Parts: sequence; C-alpha cells; structure tokens
Amino acid sequence: MAFRDGYLSELIGRQAVLDGPGDVAVGKVVDVYVGKPDDTFPRIDGIVMSTRGGQMQSPIHDVIDVDRAGTIVLRIPPTERPLPDDRALFLVKDLFDKQIVDVDGRKLVRINDIEIANTGGTLRVVAAEIGVAGLLRRLGARRLAPGLLDRVPRTLIAWDNVAPISDLNPSQVRLSVSESRLSRLHPSELAEIIGDLSAKDAARIVGSLDDETAADAFEHLEADVQQSIIADLGEERAADIIEEMDADDAADLLGELDEVQRAALLAKIEDRAYADELEDLVEYEPDSAGGLMTTDYVWIYPHRTTAATIAKIRELAPESEFIYYLYVTDDRRKLLGTISLRTLLLALPTAFIHKLMDSDLVSVAADTSAEDVASTIARYDLLAVPVLDDDGRMLGIVTVDDAIDAIIPEKIAHSLPRFVRHHGRRPSTGSG
Amino acid sequence: MFLSVVGPGIITANADNDVGGVLTYSQAGAQFGYSLLWLLIPVTLALVVTQEMCARMGVVTGKGLADLIRENFGVKVTFWVLLLFVICDLGNTATEFAGIASVAPIFGGFIGIANAGLCKTVLVVACAILVFFVVTRANRDVVERIFFVLCTVYLSYVVSAVIVHPDWKDVGHQMLFPHFASSKAYVLMIIAIIGTTISPWMQFYIQAAIVEKGVRESQYGASRVDVISGALVTDIIAFFIVVSCAATIYVHNVALPAGHQIQVNDVSDVAVALQPLAGRFAALLFAIGLLNAALFTASILPLSTAYYVCEAFGFERGIDRRLGDAKVFYALYLSFIVIGAGVVIVPNAPLLGIIFYSQVLNGVLLPVVLVLMLLLINNKRLMGTWTNGVAFNVIAWTTVVIVSVLTAISTAQLVFPQIGS
Repeated sequence: MAFRDGYLSELIGRQAVLDGPGDVAVGKVVDVYVGKPDDTFPRIDGIVMSTRGGQMQSPIHDVIDVDRAGTIVLRIPPTERPLPDDRALFLVKDLFDKQIVDVDGRKLVRINDIEIANTGGTLRVVAAEIGVAGLLRRLGARRLAPGLLDRVPRTLIAWDNVAPISDLNPSQVRLSVSESRLSRLHPSELAEIIGDLSAKDAARIVGSLDDETAADAFEHLEADVQQSIIADLGEERAADIIEEMDADDAADLLGELDEVQRAALLAKIEDRAYADELEDLVEYEPDSAGGLMTTDYVWIYPHRTTAATIAKIRELAPESEFIYYLYVTDDRRKLLGTISLRTLLLALPTAFIHKLMDSDLVSVAADTSAEDVASTIARYDLLAVPVLDDDGRMLGIVTVDDAIDAIIPEKIAHSLPRFVRHHGRRPSTGSG
Repeated sequence: MFLSVVGPGIITANADNDVGGVLTYSQAGAQFGYSLLWLLIPVTLALVVTQEMCARMGVVTGKGLADLIRENFGVKVTFWVLLLFVICDLGNTATEFAGIASVAPIFGGFIGIANAGLCKTVLVVACAILVFFVVTRANRDVVERIFFVLCTVYLSYVVSAVIVHPDWKDVGHQMLFPHFASSKAYVLMIIAIIGTTISPWMQFYIQAAIVEKGVRESQYGASRVDVISGALVTDIIAFFIVVSCAATIYVHNVALPAGHQIQVNDVSDVAVALQPLAGRFAALLFAIGLLNAALFTASILPLSTAYYVCEAFGFERGIDRRLGDAKVFYALYLSFIVIGAGVVIVPNAPLLGIIFYSQVLNGVLLPVVLVLMLLLINNKRLMGTWTNGVAFNVIAWTTVVIVSVLTAISTAQLVFPQIGS
C-alpha cells in the first residue's frame, strides 16, 4: 500500500474507485473503523464510504491501495453491511471532535485528528492529535497555506493513552478501552476528570469501572457529583460501590442523600453488619469527630503476647485500612491503652501487650469539632486519634489524612495526595 | 430545591440589561417614542424560547453550546461560526467599556475634574483592572450579591416612568398595535433591540451556567421558572426604560422647534429620562446604574467567550486553572479586556456608534446561533424525549426568518440608500 504515514483527515473525503479499466468511482470515504481498539496500535479493519446507495463498507483486505493518484482502490464493490456499533470503533463518528481523556497527561482534551502509520502494508492507528496543527489541517491549511502546517508544533497522544468517553453512539468496545486505560490513573486524578465531565458521561464512565476503582475515585469526588452519579447508576450498582468505599467516606456520601434514597441504598448493601455500621456513622455531624471517624481500626486484647498479637494482625491486616496503631480494649471495647506497630515489632515475642501499651490516653469525643480533632492530632504528633463515648468505649478512629481534609479549604484538598492508600473498608478488626 | 437550581436565569437577565441594552432601549424611546413598544412582546416571547432551549440543552446533555456545536457540526462550521461570535463579543466588550467611558465625565464633573479625556482614560483603565481582579481573585458569591443590589438602580426607571405621567392609553395602544415604518433608522433599531435582548453570547452563557450548576432533569421545572422569570424581568425593565425616555425626551422634542430639541449625541444625554425622579442628580444616578451594568457584564462576557472558544477547541479552561496550564484561555480573556478597553480610550472614539452597531451585529448574527440551536435541540439522539414542541419550533423559526428578513432589508438600504429613506 502506497500510503506513507499521515493523518486520518487526509484519507477522509477521498474518492473510492473499483480496480479495473477506467477506475469506476464508487463513492467517498467518510469513516474508517478498527475492531480491536484495545491494542497498542490497532489495525484499521475497514473503511466506510458514502455511495449513491447509502453508506457501504469494505473490509481492509478488499482495499488494494489507499493512495493511487489520490484515490482509494477497491478489489470488489463495497457491501451494505454496517457493523453494529458495539463491535467496532468508528474513528470519525466516535472520535473526531469528541472529548477523550489523555491518560498520560491526566486531562480532558478534544481530538482534532488521528495519526495513521503504514507498518509494512498494514495501516495502524498511532496517535491522537489534539493541538493547533490538527485544527489547521482540518480547516484546510494544507491547501490554503502549505508552509504554515510544518511550522506549527504538533501535540500528539500515543494511542495507548487515549480513553474515549463521549456519549453519542455508546459502544461496548469503546467503554472497555476506557475502562482499562482509566484505571491506570490515580483515584484522585480520575476523580478530577470525572468531575469535569457532563453528568451522563460521568455516570457512564463510573459505570464502566470495576467496583473497587469506582469506589476509590468516588472517595475523591465532591458531594454533588457523587449524588448525580448515584442517581444515574441505579441503586444496585451504587450500593456495590458504596460497599467498597471507606466507612467514613461512605457515611459522608449517605449523609448527603435524602432519607428515602439512603434507606434504599443501605437496604441493597449485602454485608448487613456494615450497613448498620454506616447507618450509625451517618448520624454524626459531618465536621465532627463522629463524622470524620472510620470504624475500621484494629483492636487487641491486653493479656496476649506480642508474638500472638502479630500473628493475629498478619491474619487481619490485609482487610484493614489503618494498622499503625493498635487499640487495646477489654471485651466491652473500653479503651485501655494504645500501642504502635513499631513498639510491637521491636518488643520481645514473649512480652505481654499490657506491659508495653501506652495507657496515657489521648482521645476525642464524637461531637468534638474537626478543628479540635486536627489540633489534638497535631499537638501529640499522632497518625490517628481514637473517638470514645462517655463510658470510654471505642466508637472509631479519626486518621490524620481525614482530619486534614476536613480543615483545609476544598480547593487545596483536591490537589493533595492521600497519605495512606485506602483499600479496605471492613469494620473494626478484632483479635479476640 | 428551588434555590439550588435558581440563579443562571436571573444572572443572565441582569447581564442582559447591560450598557448595550440600556442605551438601545433609551434611544428607542428617545427617537421613536412609544412606537417601538409593541416589539417588546414578540421579543420577550422569543427570548423566553431561546433561553429555555439553551437551559434545556444544558440540563439534558450536560454540555455547553460550543461543545455541542463542535461535536455535531465538526471543525469547519465551529471555527467560522465562533469566529463571527468572537468578533461580535469583542464589540460587546467594547460596548461595556464605551459605557464606562461615556459616564466618566459625569463622575469627573461631580468631583470637579473637567478634563473629560482624562476622566475617561482613568476610569476605563481602573475598571479594566478591577474586572480582571474581581474575576480572578474575588469571591464570586459576594461579587454577585453586590451586583444584584446595585441592579436595583434600574428600579429608578420604573419610578421615573410613573412620576412623569406618560399617556398610559397611548402606551397601551402602541403595545398592542404594531406599527411598522420602513425608514432605515427604524429597521436598524428593530434589529438592535432584538440583538441586544437576545444576544448570541448569552445563549452560550446561560447553558454553561446551567451545566456548571449540575441541574438534573428532575429539577428542570424549577430551572425553567428561573429562566423564564429572568427573561421577563429583562423585558419589564426594558419597557420602563423605553417609556421613561419616550415620556421625557421624545415628548419634549415633539413640542419644540428643531433647534431647541434635546439631542441624543452622547450617552449621558439619555440620563434626562431620570430627571423626574432624581432632578439634578439624574445624571449621577444614571452614571452609577450604567457603570454597574458595564462592570457586571464586562466581568462575565470576556470570560464566557474565552470559555466557549476553549471548550470548542479542547484547550484547558476555567479560572481555577493555573496560568501556565490554560495559556490560551487566559490569553483570550486578557486580550478581550485589553482590546475592549483599548478601543474606547482612543481619543474621539465614536462611543455611541460602537455601542449601537455592536447591538446591530448581535441581531444580525442571532439567526446563525438560533439555527444551530434548533438543529441541536431537535436531534433525538442528543435530546431523547426533550426535543422541541411544535410551538417552540414555530416561534424560534419565525424569529430566524424575521431577523433574517430585517437584516436583508437593512443591508439593501445600505447598498441602495434610496430605499425607505
């Protein structure tokens, strides 16, 4: 095939002719499609032409040449056999002028053109052009001002970093590309992009992600965006995502909903104990210790040895979000003391917990304000502070990152990374 | 629930009564008396329909108008259409600064500075800097509230119109029985009134505002009330501006021989309409009102334009972006303010001309944006069950046809000056 590397916009609009005497004109190229957009550099599998008899397609093996005197030469006439939308990605219809996520640059951009390379006779999609050069080319700069295009720098995104999102012609193929590529983003980056999308695009993108990725991104979204996505996702899926979220973030989200909606979502959560836990958490004011706390902490018994305790933690910790402090309680969950993971590791295996633990308790009450929680954590250089009820029993803990999130202005909070990566969401993990 | 979606319509309504609006309505009253009042009824209808269409598109698609134009009509259409709107908006921005420049001598006179050129330059530059500061640094909610409070200055037109005892019977008659003159000035004035009331940039703005608010389909009822009441407020104020100018300037002039008439050569001449209320402070009251209108619109119009251009072409945008991340956006925004303010401080710049012909350009371009909007909103793939009903399509297409015909007439008059003169 005599096509050098070039751009899709140069192929579109070309005359398609039948091979043979006189080169009988068939129609004009209006689109091309790829069947496996997941590939790093997917092959172009066919072209779409507009002919007198409507839109026709030719698979690529029926195309002899795409650049013989500026025409595309076909072996046999094209057929009227439109591929269903969900089997192929149509580069013009699905991508030209549409928004995509630049996974490498972590932002929303618009596709102006698509770069195509000829690799040993196979045409492959290489990159998306998002810059001014692509705009100028589409506006006909090649004809109007031939020298200009070469001087404008090109802005290309390697195909592997392109995640399509636009909601016209929803296509299964396209969503699967987005899903695998978007999950490479950090949850906070993904959340930022989701926040910039229209409500429907946002819901579709979240809908395409697996529960855990969606939950991670959800924790970073603003309340109003969360709500609008939940409304679009439907209760079943929303409950699945909430179940994967950290308890404190999930409770914040539920607290923003009206009672009917909240009850409906809680009812759909499969882990009933967790649903009850969430229901309790929702009752607290969002900017109090109760609203900030998570019930996902590790509690241990005082009369165990360090060896036994470490063995137990090893068993439980993968489920748990925060294990740097262990909370020593009696069997009614009354807090007796705390012990850090460091102390535990450095101690003799036979030492007893109650000998090692720090019984000078620093704690807050459920109605302590976010500022006071943060200043307590700062004053004692803590990673987390326990929240106790009036009888000294543990309700949960507030971790330093949640305390900081609560007191710094929202805008700054968005650009901050989390100190601790959250995965688990289990309620308190006991060793008893 | 209502409060969470209210706002875009009311804000747009206030932005609509900008310098171009106030002065166009004033001139209409001063030059043609009550004889253009009838126009306000169809214009209000068309305004409600266009604004509602944009709001609905914003709610259903969650996308801006420029976004939809780009995704559905491709690069070429988007480029040429937006180029026209950018030029038009440059005119509109210059209009706002022209308003500021033209009231500068009134403020100057009040504090005892006689040099009009100096007042003009100082105030325009100060306002340009203020606008930039307000938009990039200040708390938007606070700023919006200040503008709202100052917008009550418009109520002085209502009071003024009542005090001066216009011939209400004549007003009513002129409202209900359209009167059409084919004179060049009359046709141009009709285009300008339509253009200033239903300016193309506001369609982009209101849709963007709705999208940003994140209004959902289930909340759309409240949003529609907001948009429609905003449109009504705009035109009720317009009505009183026309009446008070007609009852003071026009009525006054009719009774006098040519040499003694009040000439509307300068923007501040129409301040006479506020004399029944404010007496010798009329000029100052007018100046405060116009300055407020100018600042309000000058702080959202260049921003809105930079935003929709960047939206269409995929550049980073928004004032929450850093300068280095959104260069195109900030460059566009700044050049709008610099050019808009720069044009009017050129000595002897024809301020009234800039203002009036910008509004005419708005009118001329209105059919372009309306046709695109109609194609989009009737696209089932985009709008699902939210496409236009028959009545909306009829009103919108009629507006397109009427404005196009008027533009054709007015162009013909320009080429063949003997028509209608």
